[in-house]
Amino acid sequence: MRRCFRCKEKAQVYLPQHRLAMCKDHYIEWFENRVERTIKEFKMFSKSDKILVAVSGGKDSLSLWQSLVKLGYNADGFYINLGIGEYSEKSFTLATEFSKKLAKTLHTISLKDEIMSIPDIKKYDNRPACSACGTVKRYYMNKFAKDNGYKIIATGHNLDDESAVLFSNTLNWNIDYLKRQYPVLPEEDGFIRKVKPLCKISEKESAMYAVLSGIEYIEEECPFSEGATSIDYKIFLSQLEEKSPGTKLRFYSEFLRKMYPLLKHLDEKPTLNRCRICGEPTTGDICSVCNLKQKLKSKIEVET
Amino acid sequence: MQLVVRYRGKDVILEFDREKIKASDILKVLNLSKDFAFVVKNGEIVPENEEITQTDEIRVINAISGGKF
Repeated sequence: MRRCFRCKEKAQVYLPQHRLAMCKDHYIEWFENRVERTIKEFKMFSKSDKILVAVSGGKDSLSLWQSLVKLGYNADGFYINLGIGEYSEKSFTLATEFSKKLAKTLHTISLKDEIMSIPDIKKYDNRPACSACGTVKRYYMNKFAKDNGYKIIATGHNLDDESAVLFSNTLNWNIDYLKRQYPVLPEEDGFIRKVKPLCKISEKESAMYAVLSGIEYIEEECPFSEGATSIDYKIFLSQLEEKSPGTKLRFYSEFLRKMYPLLKHLDEKPTLNRCRICGEPTTGDICSVCNLKQKLKSKIEVET
Repeated sequence: MQLVVRYRGKDVILEFDREKIKASDILKVLNLSKDFAFVVKNGEIVPENEEITQTDEIRVINAISGGKF
C-alpha cells in the first residue's frame, strides 16, 4: 500500500510521472498549487483581474473554476447552451448547480437564440460539428467577455488536449498553428486575453481532482465528438505515457521551452479588420460566425 | 462473476470468467488504459491491484474527452 508523501496516511492517488503518492487532502492541495504555479509561470493574470471561465459542465472546466475560486481569484463562469438534446440539458443543470455551490455568477447564452442549435447547424453545414462548434464558442465567449468588462478568458484545456494538438500540428508541420500554441494568447485589437491554467495537468489528474472534491460533472461524451481524431492522438500518446511516464509533459513543456521561442519570431501578425456585419475582429472582410450565418441562411432559402 | 459498475452516467454489467477480480481487470474489460482511467471503490480512488467484490459500489472514470474551445 502506498502512503501519502506528506502525511503518511493511505494514498488514494499515485502520479507516476511525478513519482508522488498522495492522500485525498494533499492531492487537492497539490492540484491547486500546480494551477497557481502555472498561472504565475506564464504570467496569466493576477488577483485583481476579472476572469471569465468557459464552463461546459465537464470535469476540466468545473475543476478549473473551483480551483481558481479557492485560490482567491475573481472568476465567474460562462456557459453556452449548444442545444444538443439531453447532453446539453444535463450539462446545463450541472453547471448551474455548481455555480450555486461556488456562490459565483454563471452567465449563460443559448446558441438557438443566437444562430441555431449545433444539431441544426450540422444539418446545413458539411464540416465536422466540432469545427462549427469551436468557431461559435470562441466568438461568443470573446464578445461576451468584452461587452461585460472581463479582461481574461480561462479555458479548461489540459495537458492531454495540448499535447494531442501539438502532436497533430507537428505531424502536419503546421507552423502557423505551432507558433500560436502557447498557454497565453495575448489580448489584441478586439480580442480578449485567453489562458489555459490546466495546461500542465493531465486529463486523469483533472478527473481525480473533480472526483475527490465531490464535483458533479457530465461524464458522458458529447455525441458529436465520437470518432474525433484528437481522441486517437490522445490514445496513442497514452500508450507512450504508460511505457514511459512523463512523456506527454516532456513533449509539451520542452516544446514551450525550446521550440516556441524560435517559432514565435516567425510570427507575421495578420492585420485585423472589423467584420463589416457585426464589427468583431477578423482577418478577412466578414468574420467566421457571420460567414456561417450567411451560409446557413442561403441553404435554408434554397430549401424553402 | 458479474459486476455492475457506474460508467459514463450509466449502469453497465460486466462479466468475468473468475470470482476474484482486481481494479485492473475492470479497466481491461472496458478496454481502458490506467493512464486515463481509474476505479472508484466505495467513494475512494483505488490502485490497479485492489481487490473488488460484488458488494462494492464501483464507479469507473474514463477521463479522456474530445472537442473543446
